[in-house]
Amino acid sequence: MRLFVSALRKLAPRMATLLTFGLLAGMLVLIDVAVVATRGAVEGGPGRPGNVLALITFPGAYDQILSFILGLGGLFAVIYGAAIAGSEWTWGTLKTAVARGESRSRYLLATFAAIGVVLAVGILFAAVVGVITAAIGATVAGISISGIGDRAALEALPEHFLRGWVAITETAAIGFAVATLARSQLAGIGVGIALYFGETFAGLFLPDVVKYMPFHLATAAVGGSTGFAPVPSSAGPVMSIDTALVLVAVWLLGSLVVAAGFGERAEITG
Amino acid sequence: MIDPTLALATRGLRKSYGSRLALDGLDLSVPAGVVYGFLGPNGAGKTTTMRVLTGLIHADGGAVELLGRPFTRRDRHRLFDVGALVESPAFYPYLSGRENLRALAASGAPTPAGRIDEVLEIVGLRDRATDPVSRYSLGMKQRLGIGGALLNDPALLLLDEPSNGLDPAGIVAIRETLRHLASIGKTVFVSSHLLAEVQQMADVVGIIASGRLVREGSMQDLLVSEGVVRVRVEPAEVATATARLARLTAPDRVTPSRMEPGWISVQITPDRTSEVNRLLAEAGIFASGLSSGNDLEELFLTLTEDTTSGDPDGTFAGIDPSAGRLAPNEVLS
Ligand SMILES: Nc1ncnc2c1ncn2[C@@H]1O[C@H](COP(=O)(O)OP(=O)(O)O)[C@@H](O)[C@H]1O
Ligand SMILES: [Mg+2]
Repeated sequence: MRLFVSALRKLAPRMATLLTFGLLAGMLVLIDVAVVATRGAVEGGPGRPGNVLALITFPGAYDQILSFILGLGGLFAVIYGAAIAGSEWTWGTLKTAVARGESRSRYLLATFAAIGVVLAVGILFAAVVGVITAAIGATVAGISISGIGDRAALEALPEHFLRGWVAITETAAIGFAVATLARSQLAGIGVGIALYFGETFAGLFLPDVVKYMPFHLATAAVGGSTGFAPVPSSAGPVMSIDTALVLVAVWLLGSLVVAAGFGERAEITG
Repeated sequence: MIDPTLALATRGLRKSYGSRLALDGLDLSVPAGVVYGFLGPNGAGKTTTMRVLTGLIHADGGAVELLGRPFTRRDRHRLFDVGALVESPAFYPYLSGRENLRALAASGAPTPAGRIDEVLEIVGLRDRATDPVSRYSLGMKQRLGIGGALLNDPALLLLDEPSNGLDPAGIVAIRETLRHLASIGKTVFVSSHLLAEVQQMADVVGIIASGRLVREGSMQDLLVSEGVVRVRVEPAEVATATARLARLTAPDRVTPSRMEPGWISVQITPDRTSEVNRLLAEAGIFASGLSSGNDLEELFLTLTEDTTSGDPDGTFAGIDPSAGRLAPNEVLS
């Protein structure tokens, strides 16, 4: 518990944390600003679907905002997980804890538990910012925001949010494990990003295999529409979202076991 | 094999990094309650030893005893009584000095709340405790690292070249802190590549080179056992004088200097200086120069340069006081 609280205290003021979630919320704000600013052009444009306004039209905006957060959040979370795990090696702070007699695996797992909490708070924060700016945008654009209290939409939110959080936490765990194996922040982030895009790319050729890979599963576990992977997978029959969620949990735990196991055996010579 | 008077012991410690041998059967015996100077040139294996002692790496062979009990992979709790600074200090650069100590205190041994401020006071960082560590100078980081090692009020303190980056006042302050810790019964194991530094603070010295212990003993004994008397005769008389002086000790401990013709080094304790003079006079050889000192610096220099055929007689306190070497009677007085 001491370790976990300390890990949270370390993450909260950290640039990586502020940057990740600031960026996520900032992009939502920018998109809403753009939607409002260009609404005349979009509405009047011949042949344009005009559904851009859906981003600020409640209750549909709830789903749009969460999808955006979860979509971009996958990549952000790999980088975040790798940055935190990698810095323990790059800065040598894991070394000092181990030299004090701390258990390596406990230390790493407490650090990851704090990451999980920060991710929950972070996506919640980004979602709240997104909803507020969408509501402001709708008002400016003269769209009714009466749908903001829509019961069905609100009731669906917790589950959507929870699935999204598990999926994002899983991608963070992949980054965390990769950076632990690499024992370096830069290498961890690099390899994490490469895995993310590599898996997406591989999805074009090996859909049957890749659908079991972590980023595709994360997409499937939140309902498939959001796209944790930047390019939509061409994989045909998708598994049920609950199966996907279970497999996501397996990847999550697997990554943590690998990270903790490696940390336990590693020679710390930094 | 456990000796209760030792705070730390290693037996036959071996460690390789890949094919590079770093520790080659290291045997250390560190008595409790002393400042032990772990002296060795760069690459000798000091940091590797520290890593093994703190469980960061595991030895390929040999044994370690910490505070009177064996220390193996499963004994991490033993480190709750040990404080360590291994190689360079490590911190979260965006957190303040105090927050860093707080983070450190959350791992390993439980730390009482007031201890962080005590430690900041000891290492003289109280005024800067709220600054982020990224704005600390090298010496301030080093002091914070030493503070981290003191956090759990350890019975055994392991410091790896702690004076790195410190200014002279900082070095003196650290030396006094370490001497004080030894005076209240703590054991301080401190590595250095500087003989003068070790001479000034250590009670006991272990000299390591290429992963092996070369000398170990109390500073005082070592200065005496490494004693040298140098005598100068006419170059034509060197051969005769050398043969004659061999009577005082073993023939291989009498060495004519190649750099300074006429000088001969005799490895005997300085209190036998007059015997050298008498022996030569009896043979009708009259010394034109005579001095005594110790050869520790020379020994260390030889190890540092990794030479086997260097000039064995080096500088002397009597000739070159600027070398900072202490004559035996000045040590620890
Ligand atoms: N992480 C490492 N990987 C490979 N070789 C290393 C590593 N650390 C130290 N060494 C080698 O081990 C030997 C001992 O190094 P070290 O213990 O750091 O010496 P010291 O601290 O006395 O300067 C050196 O030859 C060094 O090059
Ligand atoms: Mg070193």
